[in-house]
Amino acid sequence: MLDAFSKAVVSADASTSPVSGDELNKLKEFIAQGNRRLDAVNAIASNASCMVSDAIAGMICENQGLIQAGGNCYPNRRMAACLRDGEIILRYVTYALLAGDASVLNDRCLNGLKETYTALGVPATSTVRAVQIMKAQAAAHIKDQPSDEFAGDKKRIMGATVTEDRCASLVAEASGYFDTVISALS
Amino acid sequence: MKSVITTVVAAADAAGRFPSSSDLESVQGSIQRSSARLEAAEKLAGNLDAVAQEAYDACIKKFPYLNDAGQANSTDTFKAKCLRDVKHYMRLVSYCLVVGGTGPLDEWGIAGQREVYRALSLPTAPYVEALSFARNRGCAPRDMSPQALTEYNALLDYVINSLS
Repeated sequence: MLDAFSKAVVSADASTSPVSGDELNKLKEFIAQGNRRLDAVNAIASNASCMVSDAIAGMICENQGLIQAGGNCYPNRRMAACLRDGEIILRYVTYALLAGDASVLNDRCLNGLKETYTALGVPATSTVRAVQIMKAQAAAHIKDQPSDEFAGDKKRIMGATVTEDRCASLVAEASGYFDTVISALS
Repeated sequence: MKSVITTVVAAADAAGRFPSSSDLESVQGSIQRSSARLEAAEKLAGNLDAVAQEAYDACIKKFPYLNDAGQANSTDTFKAKCLRDVKHYMRLVSYCLVVGGTGPLDEWGIAGQREVYRALSLPTAPYVEALSFARNRGCAPRDMSPQALTEYNALLDYVINSLS
């Protein structure tokens, strides 16, 4: 497993040169944004169960066949496995966001996942849809802008200090990790 | 590779936890210390050749027998390789300063070093001497700030301890 810092070190080592100049400045930028990154991780981790259950429920509402006999979320045992998998994927995305590098997600979660799902007959299009929903939720939580329309009276604001650009770079980074999951599954 | 963040993530993963507040606190600690670490890394990266050369010269001065025929510093190729070894260690120290953990030294420097040096009949005392010279050479605030020097020296101590 690597993080943003060891990633820079691994690429510098390939040319046996020390980490300097531009690379070092990027890491300084990473550190300057450190608190915002921790807030972003906190925003996802604190809303994890809501995100997972909503994403899986959304996937099912859009494709009711999943909970009919023969569907992959029927019966409870499969539904529970599906909720668990959603939580696992979100957990590894959170780790990647904390580390600033996708290697933990790739090595420990995505490697072999597609083959496993193919073997078990878990439908790829539905899985991808659940991940897409989590991607949208994560963006809203990092920006601390959950929607009135969908959340209703369950709306919950973290109240973290969010700067003017609403953490655009962190939203982009987190979205990138969800996209990594999507491309690994499809 | 071992650093504050990877240690935290590995522990959370082993327990199947989302990152909790104590995990975030640990990362915050790494962020607080990073300005000193990166300052030392930057200084070392800019002067790596000079630092390695001085440390190499110091160990050859301490053990002149290494220049005798058949010894480890006797030919031009051997000399170049000794200097290169010292430079490797200093580069790995600079990586550790960047990472904020001993991972790069552990994985690329220390693992297997004893076996290699024994098999090739390279005495470890000159390595210790070169690194000790580098350890005692730095001076704050001439070379870097006191906290940066502390980080730098701690890593050199770590390598020295791995060899002795």
